[in-house]
Amino acid sequence: MKRLFQRLPRTVPVLALLAAFGLARGPIEEGLRARLVAANLLVPPPAQSAFEQMRQSVLMATLGGLRPLAATYLSLEAFDHFSTKSWDDLRRSYEIVTSLEPRDETHWVAVVWHLGINATANMEIDGRLPAFERERRFKEYAFQAIDFAERGIAQLPESAAIRLQLVEVYREKLKDDCAASRVYGDTIGLPGAPGFVRRFHGYYMARCPGREKEAYAYLTALYREGKSQRKPTLIKEIQDLEKKLGIPVPQRIPEADPDRPRPNQAPRRSSNVLPGGIVVP
Amino acid sequence: MRPVPLFSPGRVATIASGTVTQLIRMKTFYFLLAFALVVVAAGNFNLPATPAQELSMIKKVSFGTMDLFAWLFAIVATALLIPRDQEDRTLYTILSKPVRRVEYLLGKLGGVLVVVGVSLVAMYAICATMIGVRESLFVAAEVEAMQADGRYSEEDIAGQVGLIRQQGLRPELAIAVLAFFLKAAVVAAVTIFLSTFASSSLFTIIVSILVFLVGHAHTMASSFWLHESGNSAFVRMLVKVVKILIPDFQLFAFSEGVVLGEAVVWPLVWQMGGLTLAYLAVFLLLSLLVFVDKEF
Repeated sequence: MKRLFQRLPRTVPVLALLAAFGLARGPIEEGLRARLVAANLLVPPPAQSAFEQMRQSVLMATLGGLRPLAATYLSLEAFDHFSTKSWDDLRRSYEIVTSLEPRDETHWVAVVWHLGINATANMEIDGRLPAFERERRFKEYAFQAIDFAERGIAQLPESAAIRLQLVEVYREKLKDDCAASRVYGDTIGLPGAPGFVRRFHGYYMARCPGREKEAYAYLTALYREGKSQRKPTLIKEIQDLEKKLGIPVPQRIPEADPDRPRPNQAPRRSSNVLPGGIVVP
Repeated sequence: MRPVPLFSPGRVATIASGTVTQLIRMKTFYFLLAFALVVVAAGNFNLPATPAQELSMIKKVSFGTMDLFAWLFAIVATALLIPRDQEDRTLYTILSKPVRRVEYLLGKLGGVLVVVGVSLVAMYAICATMIGVRESLFVAAEVEAMQADGRYSEEDIAGQVGLIRQQGLRPELAIAVLAFFLKAAVVAAVTIFLSTFASSSLFTIIVSILVFLVGHAHTMASSFWLHESGNSAFVRMLVKVVKILIPDFQLFAFSEGVVLGEAVVWPLVWQMGGLTLAYLAVFLLLSLLVFVDKEF
């Protein structure tokens, strides 16, 4: 036996051992991979579409195990596109970045901010484009931002940061108070959600046509929670709703209107006057 | 005459310490300067990002570079050792003594792993200092700004600080360093196996890097190849052969999740450690099969 082993070319036992080990570890590694992916420790392979969009260098870096570095490089490239206002290139960069690192919340927040706030703001003021085109692109970028945010939320269902960035697009750009209220509502109770989201959910619900009664019930319930919730805006919103819904005076909240003129209050500065009396035309 | 024991941990330790000295004399630790430069550069990118985003980027660049240096160092250092011993004739002196070849291989691998481990600890210390300093600066600035604004409650400030701390220096990051070490150990074991039959260091380095790239890519790329080839039988067979012969390095990328702030699942870390030990044992055995009868 020993003599036979000595006569065998070394390649045979080497290949046999390599193959046996490969066959034995295959199912173990598959199981481990599934458990690591389920624990969010291992990122699943990027989507087919992401592979097709990657340039050769980025593809090589990704395949070579430099996925975080490739994603960081593309994020820096996206920043370059932001500097030159190349919004479509920026979107393409983030398509790949978010495919490479779908569980990194910061990428989703950044792309929603870039497209939903910066690109739309640029469309509001870009004088090189005709008004119709600007309006069309404004909506396009806002909806792309919403699409990214929804994909991000699907990846990270517990993310408050993506929702807060999304709500900014609805609130500031699309002026969609109903959607803003819905997203604020979804944010309540998520880890890291700021305390104001409960009040903002009610404020925007009050502005959503047809939901005034629901908003009134919700905001008065917050009011009854105690002093910590009785912010001037909450009081103002409740009082506006009381007037709008014709709530009988005895049932109204006792607080005075926060916007009432006060005897010792300094006169309000006009919005175009800076401190020192400098007037902005 | 006293009989020579079949296996002596002392002899392995002597060869390992000789290997460490050999690698230190090659000025291998100088790459730490390059690493420190990368970390400092990453910490000073002036992007319009929130503190949490900036910390996340510093972490990803630093840990990505750490990973790159670890496996590359493992390949280059291991590939140089046996040919260098042959060139210096040290190998003949060692093997003429009552030293088993398995002890020699184990000592060489052990020496490389010690140097890789020390390098990783040093890189982690540089990286942790950078992240820790930036984190405390960000937290102080954020708290000051929020308090000065006056509209934020203690709860809001704590929430914001928590957001920054989540991306800052956490003890779990050490597990990412452990993942790099495990990956580098497997890479070193594969390289030592390749160097037992390679004709030159250059060949070993190139083939080891190729094996590493293929081992990292095959899981990711196989679905792509299968899709491109219309699920052809030949490609399926090829993918299977590659998966059997080449280690799956992509599994060791669980460090990415840890760096992103995911919770560490200890049983999975132990299982990865066990898998690494299995790789080391098998590749050492393979190296021994080639090396045991090799004539010098």
